[in-house]
Amino acid sequence: MAKREPSINTENFTAVQLMEVDSCSRCGECVKWCPTYDASGKDPGLAPRDKILRWGEFMKKSYGLRARLFGPKEIPEEEIEKFKDDLYGCTTCGMCATVCESAINTVELWESMRANLVKRGNGPFGKQAAFLKLLKEYKNPYMADNKDRTNWFPEDVRIEEKAEILYYGGCTAELRQRKLALATTRVLNKLGIKFTMLGEDEICCGSVLVRTGQYFFDDVAKKYAQKNIDNIVAKGAKIVLYACAGCYRTSLIDWPRLTGKELPFKVVHIAEFLQELIEQGKIEWEKSIDKKVTYHDPCHLGRHVGVYDPPRAVIEAIPGVELIEMDRTRENQRCCGAGGGVKAGIPDLALGVAKTRVEDALATKADILSSSCPFCKRNLCDGRDAIGAKELEVEDIIVMVAEAMGIDLSDTPE
Amino acid sequence: MSMEYFAGISDALRLTFVQVMILATLSIGIFFIGMYINLKKWGMGSTGYGQEPSGSILAFPKMLAYQMSEHAHVHNQSVLETFFLDILFQRRILTRSPLRWFMHFTIFVGWMTLFALSIAMFFVEMIHMIGEKAGYAHSLPEFMNPEIFRELLSVPNDIFSYILLTGIIIAIYRRLFLAEVREATIAYDSVLLIGLTIITISGFVADGIRTGRFWGFDLPFEYAPPAALFHVVISLLFCIAYIPFSKYIHILAIPLTLLANKGGE
Repeated sequence: MAKREPSINTENFTAVQLMEVDSCSRCGECVKWCPTYDASGKDPGLAPRDKILRWGEFMKKSYGLRARLFGPKEIPEEEIEKFKDDLYGCTTCGMCATVCESAINTVELWESMRANLVKRGNGPFGKQAAFLKLLKEYKNPYMADNKDRTNWFPEDVRIEEKAEILYYGGCTAELRQRKLALATTRVLNKLGIKFTMLGEDEICCGSVLVRTGQYFFDDVAKKYAQKNIDNIVAKGAKIVLYACAGCYRTSLIDWPRLTGKELPFKVVHIAEFLQELIEQGKIEWEKSIDKKVTYHDPCHLGRHVGVYDPPRAVIEAIPGVELIEMDRTRENQRCCGAGGGVKAGIPDLALGVAKTRVEDALATKADILSSSCPFCKRNLCDGRDAIGAKELEVEDIIVMVAEAMGIDLSDTPE
Repeated sequence: MSMEYFAGISDALRLTFVQVMILATLSIGIFFIGMYINLKKWGMGSTGYGQEPSGSILAFPKMLAYQMSEHAHVHNQSVLETFFLDILFQRRILTRSPLRWFMHFTIFVGWMTLFALSIAMFFVEMIHMIGEKAGYAHSLPEFMNPEIFRELLSVPNDIFSYILLTGIIIAIYRRLFLAEVREATIAYDSVLLIGLTIITISGFVADGIRTGRFWGFDLPFEYAPPAALFHVVISLLFCIAYIPFSKYIHILAIPLTLLANKGGE
């Protein structure tokens, strides 16, 4: 009798990742810190430790000693489907990786598991399945005309045709949170920095596909990354500025991995760029903000890449601002809840996490909850509204900088 | 009788010595088969992100070497720092929980040292035994006499056994009395701790019977060799043969993960 085929396969896993599954000591630190496990009312299936254990069991049943001797043991389809559901209840914030005593690179592991299950036909989750179609059709996930990325900028905004500095706006800022994109451009203009943008040639960075395990479909993520890189190079850029933590992380880490090549330009977050200018005394402040501000580290800027100090240096340089830290900051920061496709796939879970983060901010008695990512801002605003904490302003640091530099953003279009 | 008793080996137990040697070889064999299966399993992964599964037993060492040499964006800790601070000193556990670190560190230090001392004792016995057959035993340094060597090791053996026992007691306490740990405990965790406890206690008892001290519970001396034999057998099975098939795999997998991820985030 022929041996049964394994119920799962190892597509999209690296050999080290499969070893990492065996290295979990089940200490439970990840369970204590996981924001979605917490917001779900402690659903055991969402605990990172549990996911690793379950995948380990799947591997054992498919490729362990017993499987080698007597053939793989069948894993019921419902079990795999349930595992997939739990796997997508994760924002890929990386908190579990930070606290993991075994140093498992969990974010990469979750993304590999997702890609594996997408290939197997189980993933992605709910509305996330539309990302690929949307990106193929619109080049952005918001179903917006790609021409609308920059054609709305007021006439005073000066964008060079070619320049050594390029501002990569990102879909959310250019198409949904335009105040942030306008603030970035006007700040650069006021500082006399010549910069260019990709305009309608800009394509989604591909983050949504990578995070939800769909990056390999028709090589869309790879093609888009390469196209963006080529377009950036064609603009003569040596430095690419980002005011979106998600795009920044994807460009810095995922683009080289997708294309298999080092980037031919430097990737810089606007907070890092401004910090340097502040240290050189090149920013002239015109207004005092006179508010207490707390700062939320976006996962993609903080834990994923390690940029913690520049945003704080920028906030502290703004006249009249008092920076108050939340209990959970920097590498221990609590996720806003939007990442990893959760905002699109499981909005209730995203909102639950956001509410907890807003409560963290409210506990500091800050007037402003700031961040440096438009997607974080969007979800934190939703969390604030759900709580009804109208007194708390949620704002991106680049908008605060613009305000303190005396820049008017009241003409930002919807 | 110069070889009356060391690790359960006596003239009367020559057959037992052979059995132990067979068992040790078998344990090592099972360990290697288990590790081969694990390497095959890990080798089902690829040697690069997004690449096709390899299926080669070399996939894991290749990917490990690649990751260790790759420039990371955040954590570029050196191999030496990872080895000393994260693997040996277990800094990541200390950062999260000093009590759990103390528990694990005492188990780690006790376990590894006793393992090393047992290996040393085994080699001295073997060298001496072969020496007796080959006629060079008399020319060996005095401390290479198994009886003397055993006495030399008795104090460190005692110290590290109690260090190990301290860690085990804390681990058992946590599993039994801390609700969050107890509720999360599964057979996968329990087997490891039960195995460790049996090995440690059987070691104490075997030594206690031989020396007539507390742990011997006034049992007759003739029980010493079988008690030692039980300790040796169970140690070989749990500490070597069972590693690839149980949670004991973390002894190997965690240091490898730490190296692959340069000490982790």
